[in-house]
Amino acid sequence: MRRENAGQIRVLEAFFAVLVVFSAFTVTTSFTVSPNNAKREDLASIGLQALLKLDSDGSLGNYVSGGNWSLLRDVLDEVLPIGVCFNLTVYDDQMQQVNNAIVANGGLNNQEIAFVEYACASRNPVFNCYTIHMWLAVAS
Amino acid sequence: MRRLRANSSGQLLIIAALVIALLISSTTTYIYELTKETDTSKTRAINDFILALKQNTKNAIISSLANVSNGGAKITLKSNLNKLSEVFRSLRHSGTCSQFFMVHNDSNYDSGTWLSWNTSGLGVSSAYANFTLTVYGITAKIDMPYAVNVTTTITINGSYSVVSGDEKQVTLICRTFNEAQPALWKNVTVFYESGGNWVQVNSTNNLSIVNYGNGTYSASFTITLASDTVGVSTCILDSRDIFVRANITCHAV
Repeated sequence: MRRENAGQIRVLEAFFAVLVVFSAFTVTTSFTVSPNNAKREDLASIGLQALLKLDSDGSLGNYVSGGNWSLLRDVLDEVLPIGVCFNLTVYDDQMQQVNNAIVANGGLNNQEIAFVEYACASRNPVFNCYTIHMWLAVAS
Repeated sequence: MRRLRANSSGQLLIIAALVIALLISSTTTYIYELTKETDTSKTRAINDFILALKQNTKNAIISSLANVSNGGAKITLKSNLNKLSEVFRSLRHSGTCSQFFMVHNDSNYDSGTWLSWNTSGLGVSSAYANFTLTVYGITAKIDMPYAVNVTTTITINGSYSVVSGDEKQVTLICRTFNEAQPALWKNVTVFYESGGNWVQVNSTNNLSIVNYGNGTYSASFTITLASDTVGVSTCILDSRDIFVRANITCHAV
């Protein structure tokens, strides 16, 4: 009886072994995080920090209100770490593009592009509120 | 021996599978730690996002106070904050957010602003509002009540000494504060009272201003006035374009 069932038990054992390995894989997959996402989030955080830094004394709003696009590009280039490319678009409260010049320090040809959305209120007595969209990538 | 090995090969297979599962589990733990790191960066991102919203709320209040203190309507604060709330509502990338506000009203504040320029030696321009910011993020919903108070204060102390006859040298010590912290001003205009009119002090009065760099300034000028007391008015525009005025009556030292 035992000998007759030995083959079937082997099959069951092999099936159980496969099940153990497969369940371990399944559990692992559920926890897996794409490292690309983490990198992208870090890059977005760097971009947001740069905009916050410029905005802390109202400079960002002044550059945008005054249309000093080249100055804004130069300042952002200084604030962001070396090797980070950016491209920025400014919209008014009606979501119409405000910047009439490209505010960027290079092409974003990297696959990992981070995006930052930032509301910018000016400190000028004549109040204006803008939405800034900034794309960032590490220079390849 | 061979039979034993043959009989237990199934169990060995299961043990090997368990070892592999253990290895996978340890890998899982490592990946889980990485996930936790990512959660930290997500938390940081949402914190930065909230910080940015609060920063812009403060900017909007500074803008409104600059407007109102320079002669704008008091409703400007409400109108600007409404505009800001609409822009906040349009933000989508880091979740949806909404901000409700209530401008402060009490014995000093009217529609969220307080301009007190008549007190002797003290001038205050202030704006104050309470907010409730709600951010619906991917990972969390955050309700954050907070208040923003933007205040520019100027204090003046002064006296005069008689140079000769009716000619007097007036000396003022001015201190400027932004939110109770020493601050610099952008522009100052000094007036003295003569026959019920305010006369602007200029270079003909040998006006000299010393900036001590810590929000304290001293100003001195000479005038010819028969009166025993000298009324002085100091108007400043701080570095944020907020206007504030303080008056003082100077006596002889």
